[in-house]
Amino acid sequence: MRVDVRALGACNRLAERGAAQAAGALTDLTGTDLSVEVTGASVASGEDLAEAFAGRESIGVSVGLRGGLEGEAVLAFDADNVDALLSLLPGGASMGRSAVSEVGNIALGGFLDGWANYLGKAIDMTPPRYFEADGAAVLPDGALAGDGVFLFESRLDATTTDLDFSIYMLPDSGQFRDLVVGKTAPAAAPGADGGAGNDGADSTAVPYESLSTFASLAKRGSANAADNIAMMTGLDTTVDVSRLRFVPLADVPAEVGVEPHAGTVFELQGEPSGYLAILFEEESAAKIAASMLPTEPDEPLGGMAENALCELGNVMTSGFIDGWANVLGTSITHSPPEFVHDIGSAAISPLIAKLSRRQDYGFVIDAAIQTEGIQTRCDVYALPDERELARALDRLSES
Amino acid sequence: MSHPSSSREGTLSRAPDAGRIKVGVSDLSVATGGETLTTSGLGSCVAVALVDPSTGVRGLLHAMLPNGTETGAGIERPGKYVDTGIKTLIAELEAAGASSARLEARVAGGAEMLDLTDAVGPRNVARAEQCLDAAGIPIVERAVGDGVGRTVRFRADGRLVVRAADGFERTL
Repeated sequence: MRVDVRALGACNRLAERGAAQAAGALTDLTGTDLSVEVTGASVASGEDLAEAFAGRESIGVSVGLRGGLEGEAVLAFDADNVDALLSLLPGGASMGRSAVSEVGNIALGGFLDGWANYLGKAIDMTPPRYFEADGAAVLPDGALAGDGVFLFESRLDATTTDLDFSIYMLPDSGQFRDLVVGKTAPAAAPGADGGAGNDGADSTAVPYESLSTFASLAKRGSANAADNIAMMTGLDTTVDVSRLRFVPLADVPAEVGVEPHAGTVFELQGEPSGYLAILFEEESAAKIAASMLPTEPDEPLGGMAENALCELGNVMTSGFIDGWANVLGTSITHSPPEFVHDIGSAAISPLIAKLSRRQDYGFVIDAAIQTEGIQTRCDVYALPDERELARALDRLSES
Repeated sequence: MSHPSSSREGTLSRAPDAGRIKVGVSDLSVATGGETLTTSGLGSCVAVALVDPSTGVRGLLHAMLPNGTETGAGIERPGKYVDTGIKTLIAELEAAGASSARLEARVAGGAEMLDLTDAVGPRNVARAEQCLDAAGIPIVERAVGDGVGRTVRFRADGRLVVRAADGFERTL
């Protein structure tokens, strides 16, 4: 199957609107403000998903989809947030399971309205099925099978209480496949790619298998970056999450968040070009820098720490993109590190702005890397140019 | 774009009572009641806050790039660009009861965060100044430039609270 990246953008936009409808329905029901923080399509193998969801406990509802779309949609709350949710609902905690089912039903109904409108066909939902699930069991049936799936995931955020939840949708092949490959998405090009104009010559359709290969490559890159931290600091490291997602670029800053971060950013040159940002929360940055310095620095994030973080960023980036050039058959280099220390979302916003000149959506590789012992965590965001990545992936399938 | 207190295509939450309306990146929103409009993580992006002091109708834009008009790219996502964003915001404010002749502007953001990316922050600010000037809207206060990220809150009284990454807060 060839995936048209622009059509995928249009699908993502539908998922985003659907999530906004779900947020609206829940706002009406609970009287609490809810907003959509981020919506993205993960490209992940069953194995990756199982790993990413390990240790999470969720409750929620799932519905089967028939008609305009076939497949399954799931709305899941973190088990820890359930009490907060129930306290907001009419009837409160005594309602328990039926309240969760009702909320899920309303929100999923809202979510699917947008898709139905777009498709011009009704989507029937089977009655909601309540579940409590460990780990990846929360995902729609079939997500863990096969080589890879597109999983639409929206995260909603309650502005006043801790009530984040996610909506996962795994459409079966068939109609959804037609949507993604652009067959049934005539409005896809202008809708998904308003910033780019139509330069015709650039194909944005890539073979699904190549995307899947790239997702594995990104995962290996995260492991390399983690190994390089271990080498520089002597600390044990683990990759907590590594995902290749397709997201609206404008959502990325919100995902990084408003906490102060420190780290390094790099420009990638070659094919694909793009940017890579390695961001630590302030305290983590200071701890990891201190672990690399022979003596305690005068200032936690002063000049010495800055040099240490730049050096660390250099080896992490090399590790991260190591292998890309070989697999993609291109040459990729990176600029010297530039130190950043600011509000996380502000630090990444110029990179997003730069990429946004040519694209509204993009593939984002994000990896969370943790060190043992001193408990630090960093997030790596790789932001490749969409067209160049598509070209490289297309060549990959031919070789 | 028709509902006065919703943002682009309804991707943002509603704002019951005197709540908070979050304005995302490439987004704009209008408030007609006591809501506080907020946007966070302004780096090179620019926030343009417009208020009609007579009616209290306010709007906030969080734009990422200067020019959407030239390429026609701003039609699809007006809030992404300073020029199309300001134009759309003015139109939405008027639809919500503001008079463009009475509007006043406060501008924040447009920092030069990185050497890697050419100076998009200052260009965003320059474009905002140019567009507001062309629309005859005075900029009464500004907190722009430098290399610092900012978060803003646009209060019901029409004042813009700008908090920098180092915690320093100014009310414009």
